[in-house]
Amino acid sequence: MPTDTKRVRGPEVSQSPSLFLCKPAAVLPSQGPRADGRQRDQVDVRPVFVRCGLVSQAKGSAYIEAGNTKLMCCVYGPRETERKDETDMKCGRLTTDMRFAPFSCLERGSWIQGSQDKDLSLMLHESLQPAVCLNKYPRSQIEVNVMVLENSGSVLAHAVTCASLALADAGIEMYDLVLGCSIRQDGVSYVVDPSYMEENSCSSASSHNQGGLTVAFLPSLNQISGLQSDGEMTEETLAAGVRTCIEGCYKLYPVIQQALAKAVRRAAPPPSES
Amino acid sequence: MATVQVSEAEKVYILHGIRDDLRVDGRGCEDYRHMEIETDVVSNTDGSAKVTLGHTAVLVGVKADIGKPRPMVPNEGYFEFFVDCSANATPEFEGRGGEELGTELSNTLYKVFNNKHSVDLKSLCISAGEHCWVLYVDVLLLQCDGNLYDAISVAIKAALFNTKIPRVHISADEEGVKEIELSDDPYDCMRLNVENVPCIVTLCKVGHRHVVDATLQEKACSVASLIISVTHKGTVTCTRKVGGGSLDPESIFEMTEAGKRVGKALHAPLMKLLQQEESLGKTRQKVGFLG
Repeated sequence: MPTDTKRVRGPEVSQSPSLFLCKPAAVLPSQGPRADGRQRDQVDVRPVFVRCGLVSQAKGSAYIEAGNTKLMCCVYGPRETERKDETDMKCGRLTTDMRFAPFSCLERGSWIQGSQDKDLSLMLHESLQPAVCLNKYPRSQIEVNVMVLENSGSVLAHAVTCASLALADAGIEMYDLVLGCSIRQDGVSYVVDPSYMEENSCSSASSHNQGGLTVAFLPSLNQISGLQSDGEMTEETLAAGVRTCIEGCYKLYPVIQQALAKAVRRAAPPPSES
Repeated sequence: MATVQVSEAEKVYILHGIRDDLRVDGRGCEDYRHMEIETDVVSNTDGSAKVTLGHTAVLVGVKADIGKPRPMVPNEGYFEFFVDCSANATPEFEGRGGEELGTELSNTLYKVFNNKHSVDLKSLCISAGEHCWVLYVDVLLLQCDGNLYDAISVAIKAALFNTKIPRVHISADEEGVKEIELSDDPYDCMRLNVENVPCIVTLCKVGHRHVVDATLQEKACSVASLIISVTHKGTVTCTRKVGGGSLDPESIFEMTEAGKRVGKALHAPLMKLLQQEESLGKTRQKVGFLG
């Protein structure tokens, strides 16, 4: 077979240069303050910037920024569904789709949905479904699309918050807003709303009680609509982590309510009293 | 998931029964159905197991291949899980119908095994950075009658217990080129320590109580379930809420506690049974698929 002697072909599979660094990535210490100045073992979430109504074509949209994590969500619907089986006659259908932009993580991702994207979309769907009054939209379909622009930790938690804001902005009837919060347990201490480095660093110091937990919560109904954990933890740590996440959600609630009220006022200013 | 249609009257009947700790087939709220486990059912694999839980049947085959370790962890092997929902189970799974359920199950399995202690991955390393054992765990759903997660996790634990990985050694010749040699003796193999492999317990919230090992009818009456994977020591490796309903924080705490209790109690009899089956050796009667 004639080989091409004039060109030097590079390797077929390319890898990120950060894998070939001489010194290993610094392991984050498990004591002391965190890299961005927040406290450990306290419900110290990143300050959040939210804005509704930025995509003009969508029925409802929202953008959330927490630290360096940036996500946007668009809601289309209620639209008529093509498939009409028994269940569609009585209540509507909610479809969710969560995608990462290829430039969002440290390593370039692909546009084709991997299994992680599908898994996150499924968890987003499970977290949002209890909150939406689907029985008010029979034979209809509501589509929620989340796009992660920059992944700097706790992506699922912020996606849940952003999606419920977008649903509210679209005027879809809901029982309550859904807020998400995540923690990372590292030995005996935990960090709330972890950044990307905190999520993925595995400190070899303590081999027990390491893991991450994400909770989606409906504050005024006091119900948990989504729960996901991995790593290995004892059951007491898990229960304490769930309580911490619920506290984090309560902290976030007033900010989200204010942003929603502002968006409504901007869209339809109150009649001036003259 | 394959679903059954349940009438309102049936739902009320099931709900009231569970409220009084009596399920339709007479079990208590935390009892499992009759479970049958058999290992070494498929001869072409390195390890296999078949589990029948009530009418749910699951077949797991483990094959060990030599591959390149992941760049971030050069001295560890790894697992690859794949769950196939066969069209035998229900016509809904024909073609690509079962793909969604299969991806959900495989993703949960990845999370369950995503910790340092379930299986000693360092023992799967052959030479750091170059060769390692990759264990392909393939799960086949033959019949579906509820509670897939539990049956799959028990089958995986049994199949990993049964897995025999051939021993290899690296020899370097004069030019420094490394060669992998399999040992000549077909019975010279390495076994995995499955003490810490977790088992998954699914708890369905029906009414105000939760039930373990729900049948399809009971699943149709519940709005939400909690999946919790527990090791023999009682550590929780993965939890997940599934279903379209919401749960009270108090009931989540109750369910995790019950799940941990039930899961922990599952491991000791399972290990004893597997060791007993192993010790029978050649005298074991193979039951197979039609027993």
